[in-house]
Amino acid sequence: MVRLPYTTALTTLFSYGLLFAFGQLRDLFRKLLDWFRSKDLKGYAPICLGLEDFYVRRLYLRIQDCFGRPIASAPDAWIDVVERYSNDNNKTLHRTSNSTKCLNLGSYNYLGFAAADEYCTPRVIESLKKYSPSTCSVRVDGGTTQLHAELEELVARFVGKPAAVLFGMGYVTNSAIIPCLIGKGGLLISDSLNHNSIVNGARGSGATVRVFQHNSPSHLEEVLREQIAEGQPRTHRPWKKIIVIVEGIYSMEGELCKLPEIIAVCKKYKAYTYLDEAHSIGAIGKSGRGVCELLGVDPADVDIMMGTFTKSFGSCGGYIAASKEIIQYLKYTCPAHLYATSMSPPAVQQVISAIKVILGEDGSNRGAQKLARIRENSNFFRSELQKMGFEVLGDNDSPVMPIMLYNPAKIPAFSRECLRQNVAVVTVAFPATPLLLARARICISAAHTREDMIKGLEVISKVGDLVGIKYFPTEPPKLAKEAHKKRESSIVAERFCGCDIIGV
Amino acid sequence: MAKLYVQTAPPPDLNKNTEWFMYPGVWTTYILILFFSWLIVLSVFGCTPGMAWTVVNLFHFAVTYHFFHWKKGTPFAEDQGIYNTLTWWEQMDNGKQLTRNRKFLTVVPVVLYLIASHTTDYQHPMLFLNTLAVFVLVVAKFPNMHKVRIFGINAGS
Repeated sequence: MVRLPYTTALTTLFSYGLLFAFGQLRDLFRKLLDWFRSKDLKGYAPICLGLEDFYVRRLYLRIQDCFGRPIASAPDAWIDVVERYSNDNNKTLHRTSNSTKCLNLGSYNYLGFAAADEYCTPRVIESLKKYSPSTCSVRVDGGTTQLHAELEELVARFVGKPAAVLFGMGYVTNSAIIPCLIGKGGLLISDSLNHNSIVNGARGSGATVRVFQHNSPSHLEEVLREQIAEGQPRTHRPWKKIIVIVEGIYSMEGELCKLPEIIAVCKKYKAYTYLDEAHSIGAIGKSGRGVCELLGVDPADVDIMMGTFTKSFGSCGGYIAASKEIIQYLKYTCPAHLYATSMSPPAVQQVISAIKVILGEDGSNRGAQKLARIRENSNFFRSELQKMGFEVLGDNDSPVMPIMLYNPAKIPAFSRECLRQNVAVVTVAFPATPLLLARARICISAAHTREDMIKGLEVISKVGDLVGIKYFPTEPPKLAKEAHKKRESSIVAERFCGCDIIGV
Repeated sequence: MAKLYVQTAPPPDLNKNTEWFMYPGVWTTYILILFFSWLIVLSVFGCTPGMAWTVVNLFHFAVTYHFFHWKKGTPFAEDQGIYNTLTWWEQMDNGKQLTRNRKFLTVVPVVLYLIASHTTDYQHPMLFLNTLAVFVLVVAKFPNMHKVRIFGINAGS
């Protein structure tokens, strides 16, 4: 649910219309200018059909310098961003050898393990010397080291499931596992804002895919009832199996999933559940065990739990945790296990050490401190931003907070101005988010100190004023409560197509 | 003056090419664009209001026919080409006919036609052109014309 002023919606639509019109005009002139140039394809078909690359050529390339910035240091609380310049209006970018030290508000470094850590790094270097950077083999051939076996047990224990299996890449974990679990004749019901890896896995599986409205257990129930009653398309036979896929924290919204209600609905209709905890494992919950611990759901109720090691553990790779039978089945059938190189041993050691720190098994309470710090930091940052008048999404306790920008011109404005003031933020536009809901996504880390966050807030406030994204009235600190009440009563419902009526 | 806010949840439409049409403010923006383009035509050409409405109507015909009923596919490659044989109109609302958005888009050319023909006093060459425009646009939006390619025109990818 996003709230935006009506005029912002109108101007955003108009700006996209204008950008589209200019893009089409430029394409038209390019076609006219190239009319007489010979298009000798020598009988081959053109690579891009018609409009397919329009968005990339005419919209994305104009603001290319806001995306894909190379970095020159570990993604700690402060990061070195390499400077780039362009001679042809952002069509091509060239790196310089200078870099600026910026406050890092974009990396998924939730617990601060991304930079050198006093417990993890010496052990990682030791394992690098002992096991070398790559196993040079697939898991089934010669790629399973002691470390891999140890980590699989540790992950299963950490998450609360009987067994687990590891993969070298987080994206691949979803897109290679889902086709193994379900095939033609099955039904996948996935949240409308699920990550691209899940969408790819679902498309690759051959099962029928249906989507339910984001985070709404009532719509999920409606979709389930309709689909179970209708059966498979055309033959109307009953579905072979139904899997419902949700995420723990949605990375573009920062919202937590309504897990207890969704599990209750799935149990009622005997559908399997698949929980993708890429952003929530290690970052939320009292001992870091993710969204199940935070919302009080028994891990035995979720059939398959997936997660990645890139966010909270400072490594790379992903895992699937489920019952012993499912894991054994996956080890025999999943192509990512049978044909892909196994996870790099130092990366495995990094995860083992990180989990030990979180659980407190390294002999200190740094894990508990980090978890408390990230919770404090996220809540502080989010409440300060909301007081300044920004539209910030996400639930309390979630370390991901998107600040809504909406207008396409504000994306490069916000990004470039923040970089000029030495704060590195990540801005996200179409197609990772819906067209009109462009945002700047802030990821808070346990490595951020109070001073870092205050500096970040100052810069964001100044840039927000310049760019004009403070859509809500700011709250002066003393009159906070009364201003809150006034804001609630000034929200008016609009009954144009598709949007909801808000009760006052 | 209280600022008007709207609340919206992202619609569960997987086709990113058409889901932007389900957000609040789209209808108003469309109507405002037509109105402001009439003002611009009036100020640039200095013609009678009726002539300006005719120009807007014909320009609207050309633009909406080209983008809604001629161009096929989507302007990005993320959907791997599953909509490559469908025009924007056919992709709207996932192919469901007679939804609110479709009814609105069918009414707009008719209203423009009425305004244009009224303000030109139903005089000849304008009336013929306006009628042709509204006829083609409304027929293209009939539910029976879903995925129909007359004489195979525009059937290739």
